[in-house]
Amino acid sequence: MNHLPQAWGRPRDDIYGAYDHSYLPQTHANTHPTTHTQSPVVTGTSVLGLKFKDGVVLAADNLASYGSLARFTDVKRLKPFNRKAVVGFGGDVSDMQYLDRLLNSLDVQENYSGAATTEEDDGEAPAATADGEGGEDKHKAILDAKNLHTYLSKVLYKRRSDFNPLWNAILVAGLTTPPPPAPSTSTSSPKDTTTSKPTGPAPSRKPIPYLAYADLLGTTYSSPTLATGFGAHLAVPIMRRAVPDEAAAAKLSREEAVEIVKKCMKVLFYRDARSMNEYSLCVIDGKGVDLQENIKLEGESWAFAEGIKGYGTQTV
Amino acid sequence: MAAFTSYVSSAGQPSYSFPQQQSAPSHASRAPIQHSFYPYTDNGGSTLGISGDNFTIIAGDTRSTSGYNINTRYEPKLFRIGGEGSEHKGSKIVLSVVGFAADGHALKERLDTVVKMYRYQHGKEMSVNACAQRLSHILYNKRFFPYYVQAILGGVDEEGRGALYSYDPVGSYEREFCRAAGAGASLIMPFLDNQVNLKNQYEPAAPQGLEKPQLVPQPLQRAATEELVRDAFTSAVERHIEVGDGLQMMIITKDGIEEVFSPLKMD
Amino acid sequence: MTSIGTGYDLSNSVFSPDGRNFQVEYAVKAVENGGTAIGIRCKDGVVLGLEKLVSSKLLKKDANKRISTVDRNMGVVYSGLQPDGKHFVSRARDEASSWRSTYKAPIPVSSLANRMGSYVQAYTLYNSVRPFGITAIIGGYDAETELSVDGAVGSGPKSGSGGKTKGAKEGGPYLYMIEPSGTYWGYYGAASGKGRQAAKSELEKLKLDPKDGECISLEEGVKEAARIIYVAHEDNKDKDFELELTWVSSVAGPTKGRHEEVPKALREEAEKLAKKSMEGDEDDEEEEKMEE
Repeated sequence: MNHLPQAWGRPRDDIYGAYDHSYLPQTHANTHPTTHTQSPVVTGTSVLGLKFKDGVVLAADNLASYGSLARFTDVKRLKPFNRKAVVGFGGDVSDMQYLDRLLNSLDVQENYSGAATTEEDDGEAPAATADGEGGEDKHKAILDAKNLHTYLSKVLYKRRSDFNPLWNAILVAGLTTPPPPAPSTSTSSPKDTTTSKPTGPAPSRKPIPYLAYADLLGTTYSSPTLATGFGAHLAVPIMRRAVPDEAAAAKLSREEAVEIVKKCMKVLFYRDARSMNEYSLCVIDGKGVDLQENIKLEGESWAFAEGIKGYGTQTV
Repeated sequence: MAAFTSYVSSAGQPSYSFPQQQSAPSHASRAPIQHSFYPYTDNGGSTLGISGDNFTIIAGDTRSTSGYNINTRYEPKLFRIGGEGSEHKGSKIVLSVVGFAADGHALKERLDTVVKMYRYQHGKEMSVNACAQRLSHILYNKRFFPYYVQAILGGVDEEGRGALYSYDPVGSYEREFCRAAGAGASLIMPFLDNQVNLKNQYEPAAPQGLEKPQLVPQPLQRAATEELVRDAFTSAVERHIEVGDGLQMMIITKDGIEEVFSPLKMD
Repeated sequence: MTSIGTGYDLSNSVFSPDGRNFQVEYAVKAVENGGTAIGIRCKDGVVLGLEKLVSSKLLKKDANKRISTVDRNMGVVYSGLQPDGKHFVSRARDEASSWRSTYKAPIPVSSLANRMGSYVQAYTLYNSVRPFGITAIIGGYDAETELSVDGAVGSGPKSGSGGKTKGAKEGGPYLYMIEPSGTYWGYYGAASGKGRQAAKSELEKLKLDPKDGECISLEEGVKEAARIIYVAHEDNKDKDFELELTWVSSVAGPTKGRHEEVPKALREEAEKLAKKSMEGDEDDEEEEKMEE
């Protein structure tokens, strides 16, 4: 008797012999080499991200293109992970769906360890330490944007190393609690007065805005302004003019940030042929995730196009 | 006649001097499929290392690029290795990687794990020369799908002298006094040859001719070396578009690692 | 138990001449020694409660939670052998996750009960294994609102073929109990473990059947669950216990469709009321004695 549950109900090999796979139809046999994605099929275009004073703005339009065909016009590419982080996907839509399912199962498993599921239980809430035990809520910590970005970039890097890439460029936005201040002996140089690290405000335990990029090669970077795809050419210069560095982002209000991103979405719609005038916009701050999925482009006017001659620089 | 026959392969099929157009792949063929996915990219930037009598300086710009785009103005290429926890408390080894940043991160995480495991298992810090050899092995083990990076490892050796090791992507390494790597390496390295190893510098008073005695390199002073690094980078920034934004320097002495950041031109 | 000693109880999957499977019956005995677990299906959600007997003073209070979450919207509580329960929960989570990867949607409570019932039953069929030494109570809320398909993009057609039926409503709170034999039924109120008899008679007094008029609300359910666990503990008074309470409501309700712990404030209030009602009972008893 086989004690392994997976053997239950199957003909016993010692009596009937091992299963003869040659009876299976040929399509089931491994006659073809395994194939991997060589190029994306249905794709989403740019994702924009902009940090502000107490959070991050993320935007992406609702279009999924099949080559030059505007194939699906109701595709939501900003995916909230939990109440702390949002992922914006550019690139292949089926790979985006795969990653979305992966994150969904990750979120379900996160909850099994007794992770907090309501705002009141959040470790950030001061009321959580009513019984005087600060460590009480530590085990309830959930993955924040930084943890999620690390996870996703490792998934992407693993897949590129297997020559089976997930054809996406993603932005991860949210809040993260900075590490405790490092010992002064090893990081600072008191005599050097010009020293200044452009990594945002002085380290404190208060959650700070987080925005980072990862792509199909596993390449990662972080910046107060980020964009994938065409947005890297068209939107980043506009966003950088308003927010050249972390210090500028720390002064920017939520309204200003949304306005800049909306302006960039308009430029992208005018200039990116694989874009559309309906998009999703998400603001993540200390209060949570505010996701709007059906924003129409405001004040659309092609009047400017009348004046453009040649490639744009031509005047006569 | 021999020239004609050389266009015919031994199998009797004609070959051409230009690439043959391939017939459409048929599903019946068992030939492996050619992958069109290229798993590498170049993220630009430059690094350099100089070792002195009792210190090592590792420096790198903080720009990350892809093509003509600047991804970000602050993406460090210098990583503390070992030490305690994710903050690397007490670490005395620095790894710099330039080339394909994703491979660089993977490499740094592997080396960091190795160095930390060494301390858990042996109860003492790993020496720089041991760490250097281990890094070589990590790179060499992946030589058929290499980490596309030029690595420089710095620390202080067991005698307290500055130790600097430089690597090619498949693990060939040597201990040096100075090394520049990355996009601006060809601009910085000759400058370092001249200023650190005093190449092409001769006794000023010596007579002209083949017998000119070369200047002998003297142990470097820390302050002067820091200035040298700054000069090297400000010059490289002027001549290379992938170098700029910020200069991150880590100075490793027997007391630990000091980090200095100074701005570079952002154009 | 006249057949004990006849040999028919030594092996699993073997019937006795009068048609009993003794190993399963012994497993039920193992359950009867465990702390009381209850589940109440209320109008707008399900409450699970557990009398967690404290086996050592060295155990940290409120740590080592025993009621588990499966997927997002279901909870499992069990009486009996704890390792068996842990394995049961682990299997339930695997079932829920594999259901998701097949159907791109959460598993309904009824289907999970069915799958787990079959799984538990399989452990009564082979002599190389023993039955589960637990009785598990599964409570969950099948979403009434339209659920997005896992990983789907877009919202689908608004009318016509593939469109949504207006006003269509399904889902709701569900409660199932699975016994060591693999038997499972849907319940309005379920109890297992040492104090199940007392708990069951208390549960029967509650308004739980929607056909009998107004069914109790989730918040009333929480208070009743706390009280019933205290009542069930009466016969076991020498042992310390901790009250564990979890609940699950609809997406519109207090837990937003998730199975989670009852918030501290509500749990403490429910516990206070439970203790008060117990004191009241004792007073009554004393009064009765006085009258005698």
